[in-house]
Amino acid sequence: MPVYVDISRCIGCRSCEVACKRVHGGSGHVNVHFAGDNASVPVFCHHCEEASCTMACFTQALHKVGERTAFDVEKCTGCGLCRLACPFGVVWTDKIAHKCDLCEGRETPACVLTCPANALSLDFELASRRARARAALVAAHGGRR
Amino acid sequence: MPQVLVPTVCPYCAAGCGFFIAVEKERALGIEYMPEHPASEGSLCSKGNAALEILYHPDRLRTPLKRHGDGWARITWEEALDLTARGLGGPLKKYGPNSIGFFASSKCTNEENYLIEKLARVLGSKNVDGCARLCHAPSVVGLNRTLGAAGMTNPIKDLANSKCIFVIGSNLAENHPILSRWIHRAKDSGAVVIVADPRMTHTAWMADVFLQLKPGTDVALLNGLIHVIIKEGLIDREYVAKWTRGYEELAESVRDYTPEKVAEITGILAGDIVRAARSYAISPASVILYSMGITQHTTGTDNVQAIANLALICGHLGREGTGVMPLRGQNNVQGACDMGALADFYPGYRKADDPETIEYFRAAWGVDSVPLGRGLTATEMIDKAGTGEIKAIYIVGEDPANSDPCSQNVRAALDNLEFLVVQDIFMTATAQLADVVLPAAAWAEKEGTYTSTERRVQWSAKAIEPPGSARCDLDIICEIAKRLGAQFNYPDAASVLAEINRVVPQYGGITRPRLDDFGLIWPCPNLNHPGTPILHTQGFKFSEGRATIVPVSYKPAAEDSSWDYPFILTTGRVAVHHNAGSMTRRSPSLLEREPNLFVEINPFDALRLKVADGDEVTVTTPRGETVAYARITERLKKGVAFMPFHFPGTNILTSEVRDPEAMIPEFKVSACKITRRD
Repeated sequence: MPVYVDISRCIGCRSCEVACKRVHGGSGHVNVHFAGDNASVPVFCHHCEEASCTMACFTQALHKVGERTAFDVEKCTGCGLCRLACPFGVVWTDKIAHKCDLCEGRETPACVLTCPANALSLDFELASRRARARAALVAAHGGRR
Repeated sequence: MPQVLVPTVCPYCAAGCGFFIAVEKERALGIEYMPEHPASEGSLCSKGNAALEILYHPDRLRTPLKRHGDGWARITWEEALDLTARGLGGPLKKYGPNSIGFFASSKCTNEENYLIEKLARVLGSKNVDGCARLCHAPSVVGLNRTLGAAGMTNPIKDLANSKCIFVIGSNLAENHPILSRWIHRAKDSGAVVIVADPRMTHTAWMADVFLQLKPGTDVALLNGLIHVIIKEGLIDREYVAKWTRGYEELAESVRDYTPEKVAEITGILAGDIVRAARSYAISPASVILYSMGITQHTTGTDNVQAIANLALICGHLGREGTGVMPLRGQNNVQGACDMGALADFYPGYRKADDPETIEYFRAAWGVDSVPLGRGLTATEMIDKAGTGEIKAIYIVGEDPANSDPCSQNVRAALDNLEFLVVQDIFMTATAQLADVVLPAAAWAEKEGTYTSTERRVQWSAKAIEPPGSARCDLDIICEIAKRLGAQFNYPDAASVLAEINRVVPQYGGITRPRLDDFGLIWPCPNLNHPGTPILHTQGFKFSEGRATIVPVSYKPAAEDSSWDYPFILTTGRVAVHHNAGSMTRRSPSLLEREPNLFVEINPFDALRLKVADGDEVTVTTPRGETVAYARITERLKKGVAFMPFHFPGTNILTSEVRDPEAMIPEFKVSACKITRRD
């Protein structure tokens, strides 16, 4: 159950950052990156199918549970290998590792609920339908719409 | 003790997003989202997500304070209220009622605004106004004159039904972020988005057509669009004939605004003007969204009227997906205007210079007299404080010392007063100048109604107690009123709302029990009325139901770049801050994301000034100078600079020249020079 990001919708308001930090008691796992003057994209754990952080973690504190890359605080040694292994830079170690947990205990992650522009979604169908519609428009009109 | 979820309305912008405050043991612990909310669908921007951070901030005012030498002395409420009553009552007796002034607050509830306005007028003073003067005063004047109602014509979610969305002078992606979800929804079903702004904002990221105009040339652009639409025969003839008057004069007045001439004035390509005009006129349902980029000009009222003209000739009003939408800035600025906290209107937009209004309120309030005629506006009150004609001012929840243009003059003027009382939640720059400071309750610590920009009146419940001995504004106003001899017996907000139901026709049916499910949209004249989401469906509030088309002509802004001041400085907001920043600059998770005042400069200009990204620069205007970090960006055209007004430095620079009718200062255009600091 990863979160899909629609870059064309992101308005760079950073509410996902603030919301994530609030629900996780002060350590956020989302960073909004700005590219050029206007494009922006929230970057956070992709919950990779073959997650290199889980491969690097020798205590299996980071492990796969279905689609999710889960984290077991009890097992973490704080070695920081996961941080080195993550190709996206979205696992951090401050004494112990922390990363997106898809807001365990909540029905929907806070970032998805709070996004004012609907740029984040859990729905693969929705994300792919939007992408296909955009591709069709580009094919029909030429250029970015 | 279990957690309780208390529904509330966000205290920042006017989108009116709802959320729940999770309260446990009388402490606000967290935010829960409200996916059923009609405007926001549960989403919140960064400011909303950080809203609770200010509640327990150590800077909160906890006790009443009195000026004591250079510092402050804590006093009891009894002493503070007596001092306030004496401070206001003294000049009232000695110099007459018009020597005192009242600033209502667009951050306070409708009930509190109603009481402040009533207090001023019951005491005989005409001078009551608020910060609506600094954001949408031209909308009140311009839209009342043309369409007969000042407010968004359609609700926020109706944007999704639009086929062409024209955003002019509004950076809604940062200032009203939840609107972008509805715009994207419209885009999904094929809508065209046109954005006109001097700065390529995040809103422009959504645009299909982006018109980067020179600051202050909006009338030229709008008249240019009207010219193209008329010339190409794209007007809605039937609508114009049935519902408007004044079309012939308009057609005559825009004759000279050819795309080529407009291109020369605005700096937009003529082809883009034609494209935008065709898109707007041809689409089955087009909407115009605008904000302070339109209103904060010496031609603010003209800008608003030009927008109304454009909508009227194309007949894009009174249907789903159409409309003219002024996006208001603060959570209750619409409500403060509705409640008559404006120098020129009594509650319900009854004109202050109409003897019938006076007769009505004299009877409704059961007093001997209420003053006839327009009072001093917020900006004029500051002027008169400087010249000594206003002796005492009561400011509720506002920070003119930061938010008014040329703020050093404002500070001097407020210093000149015999008595200044400020009621706020923090020690703002204005409160620093006061004789008495009264600690008030923040939004979550009191109850009442707020009217969002879509005219939705929502009830916000009390979640927690105010800190220390701070009290809710309604209590404080009533206590001061009693000491000044006015009969204000209101035990709670609901009792004030009941009086509002009686005297404000638009709010007639908006009673407390009906507000539980996300409120009602005014006009709602009686108890069985469902509210009116879309205005002007059956014509307008004028004779024959016809709207008035008021031709306007382009006048240049008061200041232009010159040899000494080669840049045009425009101001605006960023996503993580709100207005003068007294709340957001105290919110750690917001401040860490935008900690310093910056000035955006085009790379070409930066090269000439030998300024690199992040350098400290001095920005100077004829009014003063301020230090900011340079941010090099291609968002701006050559010769234009941008600064956010959330930091105290910005309004030292801005121009005091005002729109002659709406009295709004021209924040958006000041000539400046930029120099590197070494």
